[in-house]
Amino acid sequence: MSAPATESTERTARQDPHAALEILDVSVKFGGINAVSDVSLSARRGQITGLIGPNGAGKTTTFNVITGLQEPTHGRVFIGDQEVSDLPPYKRSRLGMARTFQRLEVFGSLSVYENVLAAAEFHHSWSDDETPPRLVANEIVERVGLSIVSEERVDALPTGIARLVELGRALATRPDLLLLDEVGSGLNHEETAALGDLMIDLTRDGTAILLVEHDVELVMRVCDRIFVLDFGRLIANGTPEQIQKDPAVQAAYLGADTES
Amino acid sequence: MEIFLSYTVVGIVAGCVYALIATGLVVTYNTTGIFNFAHGAIAMVGAYTYWQFEDAAQGWGINPVISLIIVLFVLAPLFGLIVERVLMRPLQGASVDLTLVVTLGLLLFLVGVAQLAWDPSVTRNLPYFFNGAGFRLGYVQVNYHEIVAVVATVGIALGLRVLFNNTRTGIAMRAVVDNPDLLAMAGGQPTRVRQLSWALSCSLAALAGILLAPIARLDILLLTLLVVDGYGAAIIGRLRSLPLAVGGAMAIGLGQNYLNGYLHSGFLHRIQFTIPMVVLFVMLILLPQDRLKSASFADAISPRVAALKPSLIWGAILIGGTALASLGLSDVNMRTGANGFALALILLSLLLLTGYGGMVSICQVSMAGLGAIAMGHVASGGSLLGVLAAIGLSGAVGAALAFPTLKMRGLYLALATFAFATVMDQAVFTQVFGTGGNLAIGRPRIPGIPTQSDRAWMMVCCVVFTVVAIVVLAVRRSSFGRRLVAVNDSPAACATLGVNVNYTKLVVFTAAAMMCGLAGVLIGGVTHSVDALTFQALLSLVALLLARVGGINTATGVLFGAFVFALFPIFVPHLPHILQNQFLLTGLAAVSVGRDPNGFGGRIAQGAAYLRNAFGMNPKPAFVATGPVAGTAAVFLEEEGNLVRAGN
Repeated sequence: MSAPATESTERTARQDPHAALEILDVSVKFGGINAVSDVSLSARRGQITGLIGPNGAGKTTTFNVITGLQEPTHGRVFIGDQEVSDLPPYKRSRLGMARTFQRLEVFGSLSVYENVLAAAEFHHSWSDDETPPRLVANEIVERVGLSIVSEERVDALPTGIARLVELGRALATRPDLLLLDEVGSGLNHEETAALGDLMIDLTRDGTAILLVEHDVELVMRVCDRIFVLDFGRLIANGTPEQIQKDPAVQAAYLGADTES
Repeated sequence: MEIFLSYTVVGIVAGCVYALIATGLVVTYNTTGIFNFAHGAIAMVGAYTYWQFEDAAQGWGINPVISLIIVLFVLAPLFGLIVERVLMRPLQGASVDLTLVVTLGLLLFLVGVAQLAWDPSVTRNLPYFFNGAGFRLGYVQVNYHEIVAVVATVGIALGLRVLFNNTRTGIAMRAVVDNPDLLAMAGGQPTRVRQLSWALSCSLAALAGILLAPIARLDILLLTLLVVDGYGAAIIGRLRSLPLAVGGAMAIGLGQNYLNGYLHSGFLHRIQFTIPMVVLFVMLILLPQDRLKSASFADAISPRVAALKPSLIWGAILIGGTALASLGLSDVNMRTGANGFALALILLSLLLLTGYGGMVSICQVSMAGLGAIAMGHVASGGSLLGVLAAIGLSGAVGAALAFPTLKMRGLYLALATFAFATVMDQAVFTQVFGTGGNLAIGRPRIPGIPTQSDRAWMMVCCVVFTVVAIVVLAVRRSSFGRRLVAVNDSPAACATLGVNVNYTKLVVFTAAAMMCGLAGVLIGGVTHSVDALTFQALLSLVALLLARVGGINTATGVLFGAFVFALFPIFVPHLPHILQNQFLLTGLAAVSVGRDPNGFGGRIAQGAAYLRNAFGMNPKPAFVATGPVAGTAAVFLEEEGNLVRAGN
């Protein structure tokens, strides 16, 4: 459809045609800086896929390209079987994708419950899911562990909890594909463990999760596959074991003095 | 050829004046990040002050050169310093929304001051420099006033270029908006730089006003709005680039005058004055807007939305109270009351649009004007069909206007809607009503209600406002209301949750315009006739500021704001002379009370919440923590101390 994509269309075919999400040769330039360069990756159903890398590696920009908030300089995005490169963000979400934001994008003037309820109502309005939104919201608020603050205005909450509100809001749209951008930062050890369990639980229903996370322990525990970005380039991908042994990753991200 | 040359000369002069205006705007925007909406009013006050010094008959008859020096080099810079110190310095780092309210408030305040100082009913003339003397240049007559305008503009443009690029002060001026702290650390003085830029900007404005007044006319509103025409040139320069702004100003000035010269009749000729505003509008559409990115947080926590039961009860009290009060009111006062409710309905549309949806609009009164036109023309006025037509026409125009402006926020949306309002003034209202003419509008015949009596009409206005207010509050509590607030808080998050953000905005914009259309019917019904001044652009600005002063997030707030304004004619005889001007008071209120987005309505809501708590009428449910990560929440609540409600 789109003129700029034609070149890459001819160059590359899908590598992982059954994945819930695949991006091909995505590049983003800000001015003269390459924020993301020729990145291809995929996320499969029922799996947690990690996307890691140092600060400024291009993880959030990649998320923005996937969700349509950032137009790539070139590259293609597929959700399921469908190419979505030319679709606006809301149409992409309606294919069953939801995300959280590293820099919070909560509905600050609504309560925690209303944040989740609004998302459930959005989902109700464009899907054929007949479940009453309030039931969905009640269930999600409890599942994410926000019952205790459900009546609080979100802009009065600390960021750790606000991130969970974003998770709950994303879950309220019943996504098949969930993009989580540092959803665990600001949580303590136990809570992080619980969050990991929740993610694994979600994949049992077939949800595909793409996880950006700085907590290496969490990433290594829950991920099935990991992609590593450094300065906008993909430098490695593989299972957690492979990634931990990869010398390029150790040099770039984990640091030379990391235990091996 | 002769015609071409003479229109070229006039066009260049107009372009020079626009360039001076745009330059002044760019200077303050570049150094403080504040778009000064009041720039036009400052220019107007500059021109009047110069007239006061210079005019021999009604003024003080001081030598024109000395007068010019006093105004441009003493009074205008001094005024700039005062504005910087009193209004602008506290705004550093404030939201665009707040800077808009304050600069718009200053605009109205200055218009009010000028109206008090120089009675608008007296005709004044500001002569050309050198009394219009000139010479023939080939085919065309050129006067020295025009030469002064061109020389001054070229000199200032070159001077500013040198200042910004080649001097330490100029580079500091450019640095200050990017990072004042860094500039301060590097030994610069951000405050000194800002003072300098406001002083300079006010001088430029005054010069533009003084050059413009003889060409146009010494008229308060005319001058203020003519200067607003120069804003288009500043936008062409993206509020940043002086060369682009000057080039844009020339293009606008020449284009406008060629259109005037070569189209001697027809619609385009009659609307040639709207060219700068159309340029402004189109540039705003073409300008790249901020992506759906950042969440915007309100400056203050908005009051809770009234539930259905209280809003029904208060609605009934309002209607009953109005009915009771009407027994003791004269017909004149009842018409004033009816006007108040109609104005409140316009402000109510801003509650929906701006208060909930975060979209600033400065064209709501123009929308009401469209409603009045439809009412007057359908079924020869006075039919319920006309009411439907009014709502329909305003809604349709609202939707058509919303379409190109959907991506705009804050300042750009404010400018675009204000441009639309001024275009409406010149291209629609003066054409439909005729200059000095009017349009007869009947009150709709409603079976069983004697709408021809002023008492009944006031009650109709009261009931319409109350019903619409209850509906707006119900909408806010509904899922659509949550969607609206969500779209305002974070458009990006909404888009990633499957919400068509533009469609939501379109719906709200249209609904708000329809409410204004209905208000137009009510306003038309009060006096049975409307003219071009009834719906002039400046009143849309007044409406926005009144809503802000009253409290733009509550129905009570907008009703309060509307009534303070509407009842003004009743208070006037009891006020000291200095305050007998609605513009002045509204402007003053906007720059003081308007800083709090919750306004008076918010204070009332706060008081009510306090009372509810004091009497224990508002028990919060006890929460039970569940789920995997409830721990964080519990810890947070315990740390907050007074928020502890959970048992675990």
